[in-house]
Amino acid sequence: MTVDPRDPSGLREQIAENQQAIDRLNRDLARKSNEVQIIQQISSEITSTLDLDEVLGIVLRAMDRVLGFAHSMILLKDLADDVLRVAATRGYADQGGGAQVGMGEGVIGVVGERRKMMRIGNIGASMRYLKSVRARMEASGQVGPVGPTAALPGLADAQSQLALPLTVKDRLVGVLAVESRTPNAFDELDEVLLRIVGNQAATAIDNARTYQMVEQLGRLKRFFSPQLAELIIRGGADDPLKTHRREVTVVFLDLRGFTAFAETSEPEELMGVLHEYHAEMGRLILAYEGTLERFTGDGMMIFFNDPLPMPDAAERAVRMAVAMRERAVELASRWHRRGYELDLGIGIAKGFATIGAIGFEGRWDYGAIGTVTNLAARLCGEAKPGQILISPRLLPEVEQFLEVEEAGLLAVKGLARPVKALNIVRLRHPA
Amino acid sequence: MGILPDEIKPAMQGVIPSHVVTCSRDGTPNASAISQVYYVDPDHVALSHQFFNKTKRNIEENPRAAVWVISPETFEAWDLELEFVRSDTSGPIFDVMEMQIEAIASMVGMKGIFKLRAADIFRVIAVTKAVGERIPLAEIPGPR
Repeated sequence: MTVDPRDPSGLREQIAENQQAIDRLNRDLARKSNEVQIIQQISSEITSTLDLDEVLGIVLRAMDRVLGFAHSMILLKDLADDVLRVAATRGYADQGGGAQVGMGEGVIGVVGERRKMMRIGNIGASMRYLKSVRARMEASGQVGPVGPTAALPGLADAQSQLALPLTVKDRLVGVLAVESRTPNAFDELDEVLLRIVGNQAATAIDNARTYQMVEQLGRLKRFFSPQLAELIIRGGADDPLKTHRREVTVVFLDLRGFTAFAETSEPEELMGVLHEYHAEMGRLILAYEGTLERFTGDGMMIFFNDPLPMPDAAERAVRMAVAMRERAVELASRWHRRGYELDLGIGIAKGFATIGAIGFEGRWDYGAIGTVTNLAARLCGEAKPGQILISPRLLPEVEQFLEVEEAGLLAVKGLARPVKALNIVRLRHPA
Repeated sequence: MGILPDEIKPAMQGVIPSHVVTCSRDGTPNASAISQVYYVDPDHVALSHQFFNKTKRNIEENPRAAVWVISPETFEAWDLELEFVRSDTSGPIFDVMEMQIEAIASMVGMKGIFKLRAADIFRVIAVTKAVGERIPLAEIPGPR
């Protein structure tokens, strides 16, 4: 705009305009230096904890209190599926926990898919425009009626959104999004600020998540094979520590004569025998992929078909038991030479059990509870040296390769009628 | 120092639709509403090309255009004179525009139907802040 010196009103206008520009610059500068300072504070806060919820809370609190973004959320990329899940929100009546956004759905989904930041300030206007284009296309038969659109978390009437992909070394960790009902609520400076906080948040979130996984992995590895523990962590199997009900085949074993042996032998001898026995049996449990529920001295409880489903659970249980018996004969003959009278007895039953983490903070076990465990224990208790007693319920699945003999009736706690016990004589080899 | 002032940026977020005027080879003018004039840099803007329409055809015949943008905050208006430079179908400007269109399209069930074909880049030849003279209501002719 040129100023005509003979036109004082134009001059006044120019001066007023200049003053406005100067004020704006000063405001921006003050905002910048203030925010940079606070951002330094946030970064030291988020790097000081490995607790995921705490990290998310610090980031969103900063969005609100420092940057003035009242509505914010963090979505994390699911470890197994290609979706983003709401992990934390601030400024919403509904916490929206667990809501998910597919890649490419809405502003957040597109940001996740493209891994590029997006700032949009005209959502309402754009949607009205597109809906009218849509109506015209429908009227002229160019497109069919609108398909279902996914419900997205956040404000239903947001006009502005600023969403940032959270990445660590090009890997998408999640999306940080802020939104507002005011059009054009975010500017380029907001983009810069969000990017600074977001970069630090991405690393902090990733570290916290890794730490959480390592902790969980350690916990799972106590009960399951390393491969299964990793499968669970990566989301390929449901977390078995959540209580569930499932039909399992339970194997109980212990040593006949162990109590008397324990009473009379030296601690070193006792532990030596136990160690040898546990190592041999443990090797077979791993080989047949059984889940070891617990050791109690010489007793062991193993189950099949959980946490991983196995179509041949009963067969595995029986074959493992036979292998254990054969191995125990060799162990027993060695023990006999040393003067120990120890013989293996095994009980196997099949039925539904409630399974999950049992215990208390600091001492958890993976346990199965149900009549089936009582029955297996009872069969084990009745087994004579070298016997493998099974309940008749297993028979249909294993009789084609087993030779069994009747071993009497057993009364079992929790069962109204006595149960017939069958002893496994031998595996039937294919003719 | 480019030609576009910083204060014009809010007017280029598509909150208030803009208007574009183009001319065919024989000089027939065409005015059309467009959803957004994108700010590229202090000397360039971009228009989205989604459908083949009169504006697009006119630009091919005559590369000049005039657009009118309004700030939703102050309702200040600017007149821009533009000259067509090129049509981008990839690159950073295209990506930013395409992402926004895709996000909105996915929210109204038009993903894959409504998409950006190209980002048409224009050089800004002139910009004028349209300072409207305020006319007292009493002086406006017509029935009340």
